[in-house]
Amino acid sequence: MDYTSLIPVADSIPAPAWLFVILEQLIFLLHIVLINAVLGGALIMLFGRNMEKDSGTAYNRYMPVAAQLPVMVALAINLGVPPLLFMQVVFGHLFYTSSVLMAVYWIMIIPLLILAYYAIYIHKLKFLRSPLLSKLSLGTAILFILYIGYIQVANNALMEQPESWTAYFAQRGGTFLNSSHQTFLPRYLHFIVSSVAIGGLLFALVFHFRKETVEKREESIRRGLRIFALATSVQVVVGCWYLLSLPREFILQFMGRNALATFFLLAGAVCGTGAMVTAWSGQFKTTILLTLATLAAMIITRYQLRIMYLNDHFSVSELTLNPQYGVMALFLIILVAGLVVIGYMLKVGFNKTERSAAQ
Amino acid sequence: MNYPIWELAQLNSGTLVAFIATIHAYVAHLAVGGGLFLWLTDLKAVRDNDPVIKAYVKRHTWFFLLLTMVFGGVSGVGIWFIIALANPAATSSLIHHFVFGWAIEWVFFIGEIVALLIYHYRHDQMREKDRLRVAFLYFLFAWLSMVVINGILAFMLTPGKWLETGQFWDGFLNPSYFSSLFFRSAAAVMIAGLFGYVTVVFSKEEELRGKMVKYCTKWLLYPVPFIMAGAFWYIHSVPESVLQTTFHLNAQTQFVVTAFVVTSVLIFVAGLFYSLRTTPLLQKIMVFVFLLIGLGWYSSFEYLREYARKPYIIHGHMYSTSILAADVEMLNREGVLKHARWSSVHQVTEENRLAAGRELFNLQCLACHTIGGVKNDIIEKTRDLTYMGMISQLYGQGKVLDYMPRFTGTRQEMEALAAYIISGLQGKELVTTLAQFDPTPVDNEIPPFDSATDDYVLLAWNDLGMHCISDCDPWFILLPPANTLEAQLIKRGALPEVITDGIVLKFRVEKGFENPSAHVEFWDFAESYFGVRLDKNRGLGGKGLEGEFDWHEERNSFVAEMIPVVPYHDDGSFQPYPLFIIDAVEKETGRLLASTKAVAPVSTEMGCRNCHGGGWRVNGVSGVADETAVNILKVHDRINGTALYGSASQGSPVLCQSCHADPAIGAPGTEGHNNFSTALHGWHANYMHVEGGRACVMCHPAAAEGNTRCNRGIHPQMGLTCTNCHGTMEEHATGLLNAQMENPSSRRLVKNLTTTVSEVKPRTPWIQEPQCLACHRQFKQPARSSSGVNSWNEAFSQLYRIRTDNAGLRCSACHNSPHSEYPAYNAFGKHRDNTQPMQYARSPLPIGAEFSCTVCHKKEMNHSVHHPNMVRPFRNKQAVREQ
Repeated sequence: MDYTSLIPVADSIPAPAWLFVILEQLIFLLHIVLINAVLGGALIMLFGRNMEKDSGTAYNRYMPVAAQLPVMVALAINLGVPPLLFMQVVFGHLFYTSSVLMAVYWIMIIPLLILAYYAIYIHKLKFLRSPLLSKLSLGTAILFILYIGYIQVANNALMEQPESWTAYFAQRGGTFLNSSHQTFLPRYLHFIVSSVAIGGLLFALVFHFRKETVEKREESIRRGLRIFALATSVQVVVGCWYLLSLPREFILQFMGRNALATFFLLAGAVCGTGAMVTAWSGQFKTTILLTLATLAAMIITRYQLRIMYLNDHFSVSELTLNPQYGVMALFLIILVAGLVVIGYMLKVGFNKTERSAAQ
Repeated sequence: MNYPIWELAQLNSGTLVAFIATIHAYVAHLAVGGGLFLWLTDLKAVRDNDPVIKAYVKRHTWFFLLLTMVFGGVSGVGIWFIIALANPAATSSLIHHFVFGWAIEWVFFIGEIVALLIYHYRHDQMREKDRLRVAFLYFLFAWLSMVVINGILAFMLTPGKWLETGQFWDGFLNPSYFSSLFFRSAAAVMIAGLFGYVTVVFSKEEELRGKMVKYCTKWLLYPVPFIMAGAFWYIHSVPESVLQTTFHLNAQTQFVVTAFVVTSVLIFVAGLFYSLRTTPLLQKIMVFVFLLIGLGWYSSFEYLREYARKPYIIHGHMYSTSILAADVEMLNREGVLKHARWSSVHQVTEENRLAAGRELFNLQCLACHTIGGVKNDIIEKTRDLTYMGMISQLYGQGKVLDYMPRFTGTRQEMEALAAYIISGLQGKELVTTLAQFDPTPVDNEIPPFDSATDDYVLLAWNDLGMHCISDCDPWFILLPPANTLEAQLIKRGALPEVITDGIVLKFRVEKGFENPSAHVEFWDFAESYFGVRLDKNRGLGGKGLEGEFDWHEERNSFVAEMIPVVPYHDDGSFQPYPLFIIDAVEKETGRLLASTKAVAPVSTEMGCRNCHGGGWRVNGVSGVADETAVNILKVHDRINGTALYGSASQGSPVLCQSCHADPAIGAPGTEGHNNFSTALHGWHANYMHVEGGRACVMCHPAAAEGNTRCNRGIHPQMGLTCTNCHGTMEEHATGLLNAQMENPSSRRLVKNLTTTVSEVKPRTPWIQEPQCLACHRQFKQPARSSSGVNSWNEAFSQLYRIRTDNAGLRCSACHNSPHSEYPAYNAFGKHRDNTQPMQYARSPLPIGAEFSCTVCHKKEMNHSVHHPNMVRPFRNKQAVREQ
């Protein structure tokens, strides 16, 4: 069967595609930072808590991060919504198709995410009173988040590879998981390893803002940065593996044939390597900045790869524009107003003067 | 059409949508009302400086956060996930049309999350004034989320002007937008009160419990009038046609309406319960009970709203099958499979029929039905149908009961889908033809007549030539065993006369038919149907199988009404034309003046089984089987909300005509119901998938290959079919429906019937029929183009079976009953119906035809006295030769 005949017709879009792409990538950056931090933080914590015999030390070392995780999950989920929304505007016809093909795995994300979310709460609430339950909860949350990541990667991969869609005719029950593809494993590992790296940074960040003794604080930050550096060095290997697993044509595009793609991949690699070096040397703020730059470059690279995959089947320029500029303007106004109000709430919520007045 | 279908046969993705959506929306409404609840309760605590309430607010916030933010937030994303799997096309449409609406909603969502997190985690670190502001902002964001989502949800039900303009704001601020928002806002407040109890009853402090229970009760009950007003407003903002479909046609909503009403009352009871002094344990148990009741109440509302949208996912724009309303005509012409990207079959062939049917099932059924699954199981729903019944169902689907989409596609595709369901899923045989029989002719001795010596001619006939009875007596009766014979005795002479006095006309059925109660159960149920206890083998008019005629002045004939003859011979054979021997006896002397025979047509070959399943009742030959009858009652119950099956299965079957008036048995029916014939024809015309006369013989016993072959007069021998006189099924039904347009059901039934005649005149069944003279103008040869449609007689007395000629002879006396006009051809014996012309003129032609005036006149006649154009050669003698 000719798979190209399977590709659905896309609906018209209410604003230029670039707007949705930018919004998607921008907010996705925030989302992935948070999700990486949650997963990586949780992995480091589970490993660390199992290694640490002394519960008091474990509490001091990990509870500050554990306490932040529920809020981070809340924000991560929330910030996952716009990228998914804006991506559907541009790539919806491909994304809905791949989602249906793997529907069973895809919909399982929801109950597992709810359970993972509650498990993160239980982990925090039972940290001291019931360490076993706490750790089991954390392990459960990690497993579920790993599952969700796996499925997200699989769906993105499937969406980008319509040539594998003909499998539907043998598997119509939504159980087709295109994870045996040669790029899948490095792609997934690329996400997990980066999570560990960001998790390390999370530790550094949390302790950076804590009122510990300088020595303890520094030690914790250093530990976090070391984890970051180690994970990033692994990430270099995984990244290369991922690159080499791609079709030859894509590799060549990243190796100079496509200037834009090459630039961003290179920028990401350079910033990442830089971050690794600064992390080893304990430069916290520089590492943070370089990491954000790396992530931004890699997210753009990810988008470039998507375009390469879809090149033969779809181009965003094919989409019909049916403008709704008035509503778009309203959204932008409300977005700004919303951010102002959020800023105001943060201000009153964390106003030190007022807090002391309240006390 | 555009996307693959998630083949979730047992569960159905729609069920998953319902499950996730109702629970999420319940919690989401709590998030809105609960926001107001937190803010105002906190405000009250601050104003009253009440530490008890303050403690409550803090504790409730924690519960609230865990429920609304964790479960509510993720399950909201879950709805998005599941609708994209269940109906990607609709989801894509909603996303692309309203992406900025969704984006705005997300801004409110993140504002809501941040506000709640700050309110909870920084509760004690903020100044009271700021905390209250954050609480208010939380509520505002939550409500604004609802303001946005409500627009899109309401759009799906009432897209309003958007259907023409396609503009965002026309769709968003649609006709039910404000009413829906008002209702939801009020409901959200009530739900907040309901959930408010949870923290209260689990509090260990008695003082808090006492105080806050009353407080929550106010929140629960104060919104009730607003909810009622909102519901009223909401209902009136939805188009009347939608309400008709939802509340009158869709039987599935009846239960939900009841659930909504009952749970509304129970929620009120919750308020009363918590006003009473009960034990803490009972309060704790009951809080979960009331939360579930609240879920039931809320779910039933959402369920009704979803059902109101049927058969669309976006009303008037996209069907629940993802097919765009604008594409239907093209798809009917070109085929659905041709345009279905994700179908493995794009053209139906004989070889791929079942595979094509499966694809069509996925495309057009799976959105709402399962295969052996939890909801709307297609196997269960179609179990009672045959292949022909399934095609009929698909043909008529969505026409009358328009909560289902119509089948879209070509005729071939319709048959492929029917084949898949009946053969592929049910494992039944695909029967495409009517039952084939080869009736055995039976000898019929023609009574003697000597024109030289005999002074009397006795003419007798049955008032109807085509007559059925339903023998499924334990379940229902369409018509009871009741044949009416009529007779006229003519004294021959130069000027013959119809004898009315001094004679007795007697009848008796031929041997083997004297004991109908041995063959049918009518007498066991007559009292249930007609309220009279009948002696065995005695009819509703008091006549038995042997007896005397009564003189009927108006008809100028002797009449024996409602003789309970049945088509079953004691030897087990099926004979739909039992003969009656009729004797004219001089009253004073007892002398036999004349004797003849007449057929009393009575068949049980009813075609219900062709679609409704079941076999034949008697010996594999004829009769309505229990299975068929039960299937029919069940489907009537399902569609009309009756309980006929239950009543019949307890031994008390209901007479159809107790609701549906019927001139055939003089039943007045009840007001608002169509008469029986109109109800039957009006309904089935919408489903009848075959055309012309074949449509008639699907039910009536007139199929050329059937076991009755009741249309046995001259007309079918001349190549005419039922439709030449009665019109097509649609025309036939339309005339009946047009006479009952005061009933809403008639208006619903007639709207989709297409007729070749521009306006079919209203007609009352049995009273108004096509007139012979509409074709036989001035008793002459009809023109080829002539048709009986719209020629209905005005008065009962003008009916062929009632009319007399210019000399007082009944039309039927010389031409025989309708549908068996001389020369008739009866498959059970060539001249079985022609006994009298054969007896009196040695010819099957009508009495007096072909210059045979001497049958009655004792001299040659050359005037057309009885009716014009009668003294002439018989036109269609070849019909007799071909017999």
